[in-house]
Amino acid sequence: MAQDSVRVLAIAGLKLITSAMLLAQNTVPGDAPFDFTERQRHWAWQPVKAAPTPTVRTTDWPLDPIDNFILAALESRNLAPTADAAPSAWLRRVHFDLTGLPPSSAEVVSFLSDHSLPARALVVDALLDSPHFGERWGRHWLDIVRYAESLGHEFDFPMPNAWRYRDYVIRAFNSDVSFDQFGTEHIAGDLLTKPRIEKTTNRNESVQGTAFWWFAEQTHSPVDAKQHQANRIDNQVDVLSKAFIGMTVACARCHDHKFDAIRTADYYAFYGFVKSSRYVQQPLHVVNAAALLLARNAHQQLAALATMPGLQPVALPPLRSTDRLLGDCGAPALPTGFTTIGTGFCSAPCTGPFVIRQNEHSVTLHQLPGSWAMSTSTGSQATGILLSPDFTILEDYLHVEVAGENARLLLVVDGFNLLRDPLYGELHRAVNNPNPHWITFSLQRWRGSRAHLQCIDQPTQDLADPDHENSEYPSDGWLAVRRIYYSTQNEPPRKTADETIAGSTAGSASVTLSTNGPAEASALAAYRAALEQLPPNDTLPGMTDGSGEDEHIFLRGDHDQLGKLAPRKFLEAVSGSAPMTLPCGSGRLQLAESIFAPSNPLPSRVFVNRIWHHLFGRGLVRSVDNFGRLGDLPSNPQLLDHLALAAMANGWSWKRTIRRIVLSRTYGLASNDESEAAQAIDPDNLLLHRQNLRRLEGEALRDSLLSFAGRLDARMGGPSVPVPLDSDDRARGKPAESGPLDGYGRRSIYLAVRRNFLDDLLATFDTPQPFATVGARNVSNVPAQSLALLNDRFTHSMARLAAEHALMLQGNQKKDPLDQLFLAAFARNPSPDEATDCNAFLNAHLAGARSTDAWAELAHVLVNRKEFQFIQ
Amino acid sequence: MSQHNAPVQPCRREFLRRAWNGFAMLPFAHLLQPRNAEQNGGAIVRHHAPRVRNVIFLYMDGGPSQVDTFDYKPRLQQDDGKPFAMPKSPTQFNNNGNTLGSPWKFRQRGQSGLWVSDVLPHLAEKADRLCVVRSMTSEFSEHTNANYFLHTGSGLQGRPSMGAWVAYGLGSENQNLPAYVVLNGGLIPPGGSDNFHSGFLPAQAQASMLRMRGEPLANITPHEKEQQQQRRKLDLLDKLDRHTLAATNQAGPIAAAIKNQELAFRMQTAVPELFNLHNESASLQRLYGMASDYEPTRSYGRQCLLARRLVERGVRFVQLTCMDTGHDRWDQHDNLRRGLEDNCRMVDQPIAALLTDLASRGLLDETLVVWGGEFGRTPFAQGKDGRDHNPFGFTMWLAGGGTKAGFAHGETDDYGYRAVVDPVSIHDLHATILYLLGINHEQFTYRFGGRDMRLTDVFGKVQTQLLA
Repeated sequence: MAQDSVRVLAIAGLKLITSAMLLAQNTVPGDAPFDFTERQRHWAWQPVKAAPTPTVRTTDWPLDPIDNFILAALESRNLAPTADAAPSAWLRRVHFDLTGLPPSSAEVVSFLSDHSLPARALVVDALLDSPHFGERWGRHWLDIVRYAESLGHEFDFPMPNAWRYRDYVIRAFNSDVSFDQFGTEHIAGDLLTKPRIEKTTNRNESVQGTAFWWFAEQTHSPVDAKQHQANRIDNQVDVLSKAFIGMTVACARCHDHKFDAIRTADYYAFYGFVKSSRYVQQPLHVVNAAALLLARNAHQQLAALATMPGLQPVALPPLRSTDRLLGDCGAPALPTGFTTIGTGFCSAPCTGPFVIRQNEHSVTLHQLPGSWAMSTSTGSQATGILLSPDFTILEDYLHVEVAGENARLLLVVDGFNLLRDPLYGELHRAVNNPNPHWITFSLQRWRGSRAHLQCIDQPTQDLADPDHENSEYPSDGWLAVRRIYYSTQNEPPRKTADETIAGSTAGSASVTLSTNGPAEASALAAYRAALEQLPPNDTLPGMTDGSGEDEHIFLRGDHDQLGKLAPRKFLEAVSGSAPMTLPCGSGRLQLAESIFAPSNPLPSRVFVNRIWHHLFGRGLVRSVDNFGRLGDLPSNPQLLDHLALAAMANGWSWKRTIRRIVLSRTYGLASNDESEAAQAIDPDNLLLHRQNLRRLEGEALRDSLLSFAGRLDARMGGPSVPVPLDSDDRARGKPAESGPLDGYGRRSIYLAVRRNFLDDLLATFDTPQPFATVGARNVSNVPAQSLALLNDRFTHSMARLAAEHALMLQGNQKKDPLDQLFLAAFARNPSPDEATDCNAFLNAHLAGARSTDAWAELAHVLVNRKEFQFIQ
Repeated sequence: MSQHNAPVQPCRREFLRRAWNGFAMLPFAHLLQPRNAEQNGGAIVRHHAPRVRNVIFLYMDGGPSQVDTFDYKPRLQQDDGKPFAMPKSPTQFNNNGNTLGSPWKFRQRGQSGLWVSDVLPHLAEKADRLCVVRSMTSEFSEHTNANYFLHTGSGLQGRPSMGAWVAYGLGSENQNLPAYVVLNGGLIPPGGSDNFHSGFLPAQAQASMLRMRGEPLANITPHEKEQQQQRRKLDLLDKLDRHTLAATNQAGPIAAAIKNQELAFRMQTAVPELFNLHNESASLQRLYGMASDYEPTRSYGRQCLLARRLVERGVRFVQLTCMDTGHDRWDQHDNLRRGLEDNCRMVDQPIAALLTDLASRGLLDETLVVWGGEFGRTPFAQGKDGRDHNPFGFTMWLAGGGTKAGFAHGETDDYGYRAVVDPVSIHDLHATILYLLGINHEQFTYRFGGRDMRLTDVFGKVQTQLLA
């Protein structure tokens, strides 16, 4: 039946149907009926419960209550934990787990001389304080939010300033921002009344979290924009719900969830929050109010010195019957529903002249007739966005009265913000005329769609930036907006403005102010000095509120088949069915508050479980992103709840939770076990009778190669380093620049993440494709990995550098190069057998016994060794 | 659907998950075993007797025109230049002109009388081997969505490719070569290498891209000048790894990584051997078009010959990409005549030769050859002399084991615009390909993100009418 209806529609060509749409009709026989109460009995919905610390028989074994929980479970099966890991193995493990880097030779030597518990605590504290901690744990988080710096699909457009989010995440981990704060910043960082401000730079940290919404892939020129919006929001809801509450809410897009207590109405409630929000490039810095006032005043004083021609009022013509006013931004207050971003636009319209160009010696001012919403509160250097409320496109034309330079109007239809030819190019209009004029959008194609207008005083600022890859926008654009009409007529309401400037045929006037006079010179100097006090106009992708609107349920996921309205609210299974009280706007802040409310059992468990996963290679709940019925059951539910409660009590601290776990006895166990009982009773090590042997992730492997070679450049942050590309391939969207083989020695987290051009080495070692939440990576074992280590030029060059470094230390410090290489590679000295084997290899080398070549080849063997690639 | 299998499925899944991800159980059984379907993982997901062992997918990047190749429409010729008489759906470029007749003559060919136009003279001679589906439909008008859909069964990025599903389910029959190979002529299709990705499946399943220029496989060439030197290093490595193996009490992951390394070492020989065509006769190479005076024909001919060598060696799924003919792939938004002619010239002779060569070696019976692009083209003009994207009705063809030969299935309307009789969706195509390989597409699942995912999502019907 489902199949037939798809075909009928396809044949009729009425619409294109995506596969997800008809899931509802394809009910699998035997599926449980949707019994909400029964489904709510699933463990994950139950309150987090405190359990007493279990008593154990081997009372001298535990170091932390964590160990009691583990040991009690083992003892109940008559199992004993294996031996503690060798000190060098523990040290190497904890270094990789906390910073993603191996210990230095000196750190190994020092620790081997004292590996007492207090010495371990000191090591752990130092690692938690290391800036590399944020790089390691930040990278884990980037997997959750499918972080990428381009939009994928056909042209893989780069997304401007995406890398700033990566740096925000690293800083957040390094300053141990609590998980609930971190999560709230992601969901609604733009709406916080007290955002987190970095004091030295006045940088708004909170707003940067909202970039995570926008790492969804984007199709260029979709034929059906609303379908595209539905797909994007599906991805956004999916990532949001997996990341913070471990639930697959997006599975309820076409029907009530097949397994969990999640209704379709829950999905469309989430949908409403996202749909009521918009993409903008958010300013990074908070502008100090006093500095802004100073600059505005200085701007006004400078402008007052200019003698501008007078205005000649002309009577307003009557409104045509074909037109309806969307808003008059020249009216004394901004029309209802209009909002601004940045400091460019004032809350009230401006009339006076304003600075459009200036340098030390000269300043040019511009005057428009009448009053306008202008992005020139401190001259053209200020930047701003003026946003209209959402409206439904009912007429064929939209006329916007503007003047400006280096500015843009974007008409965003159904949230689609990648405005390019074919199809969408006409919705992205340059404003490059300082005289008042009309810009007319032809909207026949989008009749009936919801839309809003974005007026931006910068050359380009939609989702993608193919022209200015990784570069800053010029900030000297300016834009003035006045009347906006819907119309059935192609012709704009009037060809000229309702006022003219005396002597100006163009409709506006510019004058260059002579700065020979002392008044002018000092006003200019004061103005320029005041501008200096304003922060740079840096931005990053982020959210801002649109008009708050609930969405209807899309019947069977079809956006053209609307069912009941699904008011915005949090999951019924947690918050009940009562409606949520929402202010105007999207309501995302209230959503965040509901998610992180202490009564919600989901996020604290998800939080500690993610940490556990990264420290043991497997979560207490193995399916880290799905706590629903298709996920795994917790292997130690009491421990999970114990950790969740402790985390909430310690203020959702990443570092405190991590510190406790890595200093536990369980974490410090050896990863191999020779006991047959354990092999028989706990072959998969679910009870953790030992640590797990883990392979290094792609990033850690590459970073260790750099570190082994002494090539690691510890610089943090900044625009991404391009990755090396195959020069032969032709592909759309291929980056112009192929990066250096060694990435300038930068850590892997700083390599560019272009969706269609991922780094080969990292991809080979299972760094995920950024399209969905991946809390637990695949660990594959493919020949491409062995080939990369055997034959890749990067691997060879790192091995040679390592050998040269070891030989240099031999010359300088009389250190045995073999010991040095082993310490750097494995955090231990060679055994006598290993030394014999290696020396035999060196002595018989074809290039000459113990030559640099021989050492380089030996170093290359060492990085190919499995011990290099695994954490024991 | 597969309820009676329900208790078994999770165990199978668990088995696969361990074997692939957790290294436990039988690591690399599928790669390390000799050519033997019962031992290489094939038994795991084989639901019925397979009709073929391998698939060659001749992917026509850009969307070739059905109405100029295999879908003959007299009405289209009659109405050439007139306003298009049917309602039009939105197109990507929205620059639609009048009805555009085909510049090529169609003729009935061979015993079967299949219609093939003059633009494909060599393939026309093979008409009696083809099973032409003239009623394909897709769901997307954009290249990238349509490419992902064709390759992965979903219009979104990041899902496993059909080749990856096949590799995951059946493994390779060759101990020295991967199960899924893409021969990369240098043009990466819109959507990038994600068309060939393993998505949420383990990385083993993803395509190995063999390049036609330079190093055929990334990092396949030893850095050491002499093989003896690499051998000596690997001997030392082996000794040191054995220390690790002993120290970790023979840990499974370490053992598996060592085996993997041994495979990589053997691939260093196997891949160059694959590319060494000295044993292929000059006349055969000429048959494939490798002596053509048109460079793209020579290159595509080499790809086709390599495809035969790959299936001969037991590689499960081989996909060919196209060469640059200077016309932006099969995407003839304008200049239809030159563009389509050059593209056809590139593939026509090589594909005909591939069918002949496979048949003469008895390989065609156990190989499924699939030809087609992500959608077709509009019967009305884009601008003056081009055709826009058309997902509503287009042509693909199958040949080889298990399919009817000299057979045409389904119909489009009088203009070749929309499939109207027996439409076949991409999901149906996937279901049928899996069926021929012995896999029931409804039972072949992988759990990800809270769902048991399938190549065919919740759709797809095996097209039994196509089966011999």
